[in-house]
Amino acid sequence: MSAADDQRAILVEDLVRTYPGGLRAVDGVNLEVAPGEIYGFLGPNGAGKSTTVRILTTLLRPTSGRAWVAGHDVVAEAGAARRVIGVALQEAALDPLMTGRELLRLQGALHGLRRAQASERGDDLLERVELVDAADRRVGTYSGGMRRRLDLALALVQRPRVLFLDEPTTGLDPASRAALWREVRALNADGTTVFLTTQYLEEAEQLAERVGIIDRGRIVAEGTPDELKARVGEPALHVDLVDPAEAERARELLAAHGECSHRRGGGLIVRMSGARAIAPVVRTLDEAGIEVDTVEVETPTLDDVFLAVTGHAATDDPAPEPSLSA
Amino acid sequence: MSSLAYAAGLSAAMWRRSLNEVVRVRGALLPTTVAPIIFLLGTAGQFGRLSDLHGFPTTSYLAWILPLSCLQGAGFAGGAAGANLARDIEQGWFDRLLTSPAPRALLLAGPVLAAMTRALVPTTVILSVGLVMGAGLSGGLAGVIALYVAAVWFCMIAALWGSTLALRARTQQVGPLIQNGVFLAVFLSTAYTPLPLLQGWLATFAKYNPVTYVLEMARQATVAGIPPSWAHTWPGLVALSGMTVLFGALALRQLRRVNL
Amino acid sequence: MSATALDRDAAVQARVVAALAARALRSQLRRAQFLLPAFLLPLLLLAVIASGTSAARHLPGFPSTGAYVGFVVGGTLVQGALLAGLTAGIALAADIEGGFFDRLLTAPVQRVSIVLGRISASIALGVAQASLFLAVAFIFGARYQGGVAGVAIAICIAAIAAGGMAGLASAIALRTGSLSLLQNLFPIVFVFLFTAPAFFPRALLGPTLRHIAVFNPLTYVVEGIRGALHASAALGDPWKGLVAATGLLLVTTVLSVLAMRGRLRAL
Repeated sequence: MSAADDQRAILVEDLVRTYPGGLRAVDGVNLEVAPGEIYGFLGPNGAGKSTTVRILTTLLRPTSGRAWVAGHDVVAEAGAARRVIGVALQEAALDPLMTGRELLRLQGALHGLRRAQASERGDDLLERVELVDAADRRVGTYSGGMRRRLDLALALVQRPRVLFLDEPTTGLDPASRAALWREVRALNADGTTVFLTTQYLEEAEQLAERVGIIDRGRIVAEGTPDELKARVGEPALHVDLVDPAEAERARELLAAHGECSHRRGGGLIVRMSGARAIAPVVRTLDEAGIEVDTVEVETPTLDDVFLAVTGHAATDDPAPEPSLSA
Repeated sequence: MSSLAYAAGLSAAMWRRSLNEVVRVRGALLPTTVAPIIFLLGTAGQFGRLSDLHGFPTTSYLAWILPLSCLQGAGFAGGAAGANLARDIEQGWFDRLLTSPAPRALLLAGPVLAAMTRALVPTTVILSVGLVMGAGLSGGLAGVIALYVAAVWFCMIAALWGSTLALRARTQQVGPLIQNGVFLAVFLSTAYTPLPLLQGWLATFAKYNPVTYVLEMARQATVAGIPPSWAHTWPGLVALSGMTVLFGALALRQLRRVNL
Repeated sequence: MSATALDRDAAVQARVVAALAARALRSQLRRAQFLLPAFLLPLLLLAVIASGTSAARHLPGFPSTGAYVGFVVGGTLVQGALLAGLTAGIALAADIEGGFFDRLLTAPVQRVSIVLGRISASIALGVAQASLFLAVAFIFGARYQGGVAGVAIAICIAAIAAGGMAGLASAIALRTGSLSLLQNLFPIVFVFLFTAPAFFPRALLGPTLRHIAVFNPLTYVVEGIRGALHASAALGDPWKGLVAATGLLLVTTVLSVLAMRGRLRAL
C-alpha cells in the first residue's frame, strides 16, 4: 500500500464476500472515503450494506479483495484497525442487565482505559448524549431512542477516527432521529470520519457529503447527493393555470422550452432542457395572455435516483421476514 | 498501562458483567442448583441399596452420590456460561467485544471466570444438603478442598466446551446440546457404582472417561473408602489438565475462526 | 335439542377436538425444544441408568426380568409420560403468551374442546414415545414375557398417564399463563419420578421413600407397566396401573376444565 493511501480514511478494493451456499453478498465493491467525510452507504435490505460494514469493522473476513481503515488492513492488521474505529451496529445488543454507566466503563476497559479515565470519559459521553439522568438505570428499561444514543456513546469511548453507524435510526421516531442526526453532524465537525449505512434516502441526503448506492452486492452509483440527482434528470416545473381550459394552448407554446405534459387538475409539467428556465416559461405564458396561478420547481429526490439506477424502489423488501407461526 | 494490568482489569470487568447473569436475575441460580439436589435425593433414594453390594467403598449411597451431584451442578453452571455466550453472539453483544482491540482470549476469560465463581454456589448448597441428609465428611478439610478444586475446575472445562459449541453454532438453540454433553460426560463414568461393579461397554467407557478420575478426586470428601491421598488425587488433576488443554485449544481455535 | 341435533353437535365437537389435537401434536413434533425433552432425555437417562446401575441385579431380592434394561425401561415410559405432559403445558402457555389461544377463544369452539384436544394430543404422543422406548430397549436386549398383549397394555397405561400429566400441566398453564413458570417446572418432573419406584423395586427403596411412594399414583403406574411387560404379578398389577393412570387422567382433566373456566371468567 502506498503512502498516498494513508490519506484516505477508508479504502476498499474489489471486495467480495461469498457466504457458504454461494450467496455473493458483496460482489466487487470499490470505494474511498476521505478523512473528515460523512459517507452515506445506501441500499435496500439484503443489498450487501451490512456485510460490507462487517468486513470493514473486522467482524467478517472478505472472500477476496482488500480493505483499509485509517491505513490499516482490516485482515492483516485487524488489531490496529480496531484501535481506530468506533462501531454502532444495527443489531448490536446492549446488555439489558447493565446500567448505561457500567456499559461505558466496560467499553473503556475493552479499549485499555484506566478505571478513572474510563469513568471520566463515560461521564462526558453520558452528558453528550443526554443520558445523565438514566445513567444508573438498567439498559433493559431504556427506550429505543435512548438505546441508540447509548450505543453511539459506546462507539465514541475511544475517540475513534472512523465511526461506523449501521442504520442508526431504523425504527426511531422523528424527534429521536433528528437528535441523532444533530449528534452525527457535531461529531463530524470535530473531524471524525463517518461511514453511515441507511435505507432512508432522506437520511443520506441530510447527513452525507457523498453517497454510494449498493444493490445486489455492487455499487451502482456514487457521488454527492446533488450529482446523483443531476444524473436522473433536470428539475421539472409544475405550472398551474388560473383557467385550466387554456392548458392545451399553453402546452403547445411551452414545447419550445422542453418536454411538456399535462398533469392532473389541469396543470402542466415542463421538464426543462436547460437550467434557470423559469423566467422564460412564465414570460412566454404571460405574453400569450395565459394567467399563471402557481409555479413550483421540483428537483429529483434520491428516491428517483435509486429507482433510476437500480430499476426498483429503495423500499422494496426483497425477502420478507418469515413470520413465526404459532 | 502495562498489558498485564490491562488483561487483569479487562478480565475483572468482564467477570463482573457475566456475574450479573446470576446476581441481577432473580432465581437464576435455582435451576442449576435445584435440579442436582432433586437428582441427589432421588438417586440416593432409588438406588440406595446399591451400597450393600460387595466392593462398594462406602455404606452410605448418599455419600457416594453427593460429590457426583456437586460436579453435576458445577458442570451445568459451566454449560450455562456457554449457553449465555451463544445468546450474546446471536443477539449481537459479542460483536461489540469483537470490534474492540482486546486480545481475543480475554473475551472468553471473563465469562469462564464468572462461571467458576458461580459454580461455588451449587457446589456449596448441594454439599450442605447432602450433609444435612446424613452424609459425613469422611475426608476432612483435605477432602473438601479436593471436592471444591474438582468441581470448580470441572466447571471451567464445561464452560470451555460450551463456548466452543456456542462459537460454532452462534445460536441459543445449542444450549441443550451443551448441557446434554455435560450430562453424558458426568454420568457415563463411575457415577452410580465403582469401576469393578460396572459391566459391558460402560465399564470400558468409564475407564477411559477422564470424569471418572475427577469424580474419584472429589469423592475423597465424603466416601470413607476413598481417603484423601495423593494416589486418589493425581489422576484427577491429570484428567482435569488434559481436558483443559483440549477444550481450551478447541475454544480458542473456534474463537479465531469466528470471522470466517 | 332433539337427539339428532345432539348427535350432530357431538360429531362437530369431536372433529374440533381431533383438529386441535392434530395441531397440538404437529407443533410438539416440529419443535426441537419439545422433542428433545420428550424423546431424547428419557433415552439418555435409560442408557445411563441401565448401564450404570446394572450391578443392582446382584442385590438379594431383586426380581429377575432377563436383561436389566427390561426392568428399567418401565421407569423410562413413566418419565416419557411426565415430559410429554409437561411439554403440552409449555406449548399451551406459549399459545397463551403468543396470542394463538385468544384466536381459539374467538372461534365458535366449545371451551372444553380446547383442553380435550391438548390432552388427546398428549395421549397420542405418549403412544409414540412408549413404543419407541420399548423398541430401543428391545434392541439393547430387553425381552417382554408379556408378549404383544403385555406390551400393548404397558403402552396404554403410559399413554393414559401422559394424558393425565398433560391435564395437570394444562391446568397450571391456564391458571398462570406463564411460560417461564412452566419451563421452570422441569425439576418437578423428577420429583414425581423419583418418589415412585421408577427404576428400582419398591421393596428395595429406602424406608422414607417407600412410605412416600405409596401416595404417588405413578408408583402403581410404573409397577403396572412392569407387570404387564413381564407378565409377572410380583412386579406389579396392570389393572392397578390402568386404574391409577385413568384416575389421574380424569382428575386432572377436571382440574384443567375448571382452570379454563377460571381463565374465561377472569377475562
